[in-house]
Amino acid sequence: MKKALLVFSLLILFVGCEKKTISLIKTTAEIITIDSTLSEKAAYNKLIAPYRNKMIAEINTVISYAPKNINRYDGKMQSSLGNLLADLCYERANVIFKERTGKEIDFSMFNYGGIRASISQGVVTNKNPFELMPFENSLVVVELSGKKIMELIDYFIKNKSAHPLSKNIELLINNDTSYQLKINNQKFDLSENYFVLTSDYLQSGGDKMDFFKNPISLFKTDYKMRHAIIDEFKSLDTLRTSLDNRVILQ
Amino acid sequence: MDRRKFLHQTAAAAVLTSVGGLTLPSFTKKRKHITILHTNDTHSRIEPFETSHHRYANKGGVARRATLVERIRTENANTLLLDAGDIFQGTPYFNYFGGELEFKLMSMLKYDVATIGNHDFDNSIEGLYKQLPNANFDFVAANYNFKNTVLDTHVKPYKIILKDGVKIGIFGLGIQLEGLVDPKMYKETKYLDPLEIAQDMSRILKEDEQCDLIICLSHLGYFYKRNPTKISDLNLAKNTKNIDLIIGGHTHTFLPKPTIVRNSVDKNVLVNQVGAYGVNLGRVDFYFDENNEKSSEGTMILV
Repeated sequence: MKKALLVFSLLILFVGCEKKTISLIKTTAEIITIDSTLSEKAAYNKLIAPYRNKMIAEINTVISYAPKNINRYDGKMQSSLGNLLADLCYERANVIFKERTGKEIDFSMFNYGGIRASISQGVVTNKNPFELMPFENSLVVVELSGKKIMELIDYFIKNKSAHPLSKNIELLINNDTSYQLKINNQKFDLSENYFVLTSDYLQSGGDKMDFFKNPISLFKTDYKMRHAIIDEFKSLDTLRTSLDNRVILQ
Repeated sequence: MDRRKFLHQTAAAAVLTSVGGLTLPSFTKKRKHITILHTNDTHSRIEPFETSHHRYANKGGVARRATLVERIRTENANTLLLDAGDIFQGTPYFNYFGGELEFKLMSMLKYDVATIGNHDFDNSIEGLYKQLPNANFDFVAANYNFKNTVLDTHVKPYKIILKDGVKIGIFGLGIQLEGLVDPKMYKETKYLDPLEIAQDMSRILKEDEQCDLIICLSHLGYFYKRNPTKISDLNLAKNTKNIDLIIGGHTHTFLPKPTIVRNSVDKNVLVNQVGAYGVNLGRVDFYFDENNEKSSEGTMILV
């Protein structure tokens, strides 16, 4: 019996050594496009259907109302949609920031390109925030020196885009690109540090907003911009926003 | 069962030849054929793109992928279906159901193995863990140490699959999460050097496990032009040996055709990535010949 076992073990051992009996002789590779020439397997659509229906119902759930079209291109270096988003992000993130640090955010700035859609007059559904903000960007607070704030304003003026700024800003831009800046009704002070709310995308250098890189301090809210938008819209019966004097071109 | 029996018999006969030094008539050469199908960065793209889409109009769709995969499986039963990560995030399906449908569909498609992409942490490591019961396939990630996380023991460094007597070793490599994913999401996941791990893995799979075919599922990215020394699939291929195929992801690279790279011992490695969103399916066919002596001739790769 023991002998048999030994022989068996030896066999196994030899089998191990002798295993190399196949070798790769040819490889072919290709990339195949999935398009409408391929039919859809019904079983898969059957699995998808209840999820799809539930998702569509969710997406079409009415969360607010827009009394007029709200878009990002109705003003000069500001817009009704940009103002709405910059303000709501400021309000929502400031609560978190204040609670955790005891300090207040001075203002918010985002990018024009980051607003991916308009809000049409009528009911506002869960679909709108997904269209406005399809990216998973989160809100962050950066502490910037007065010098960096100047870089930020220079960028804003040079860029001429309606990059969203919150209502805490009052920027008067003259013809010769000189400007007067007030932040929360206080004249801008070069020797001061300011807390600016933006997205993690822009903070890491997105849209060449390099002044957000390497801040004095960085506070992550872990609050997604889209979630802030959804939470705010749900809390409002009607979305009210307008152009105002946060940016004035002389 | 029959196949196993056949294997046993062949193995026993082989032993006889070596032990007794007898010259038995050699077996008729049997060609073995393994097909590898793969996706990457499907990003919750379950339905085809809308016909108005500016880039991928009417492309993709899981139900169509199923038709293609099943067709290829009918051609060759010895087919594996693999994914190189970033299964999650990209459509409201993920936002509403947390990846449940993605995993259920992949299970239905009979995926064999997948690796983990950075976006698979988007609902945190717990969010991924929670969906694992919906995945009837395995996850491999050799350079993530999950010891102090909920994924501990649920994700293995590699998996070995035996198909038609061909031993296939598949290991996974993930991208550095720091700076890409919030640490709150990946928690205590430790990132290990992918190149060192790949060298270890290929040695283990080749020498210890005696694999006939070694595949790396990588979410490192194809290549970084602006940072050419950063670890990427092309650099990985150049600096390792014994890997036959690297299936990549992360950079959403739509290659015109699979790439052939010379490895550290001047042998060919195939590197492939099929863009993203299930717009494409990658297909690699490996043909093996049975022989008694180790063949030293290089293998032919047609792309």
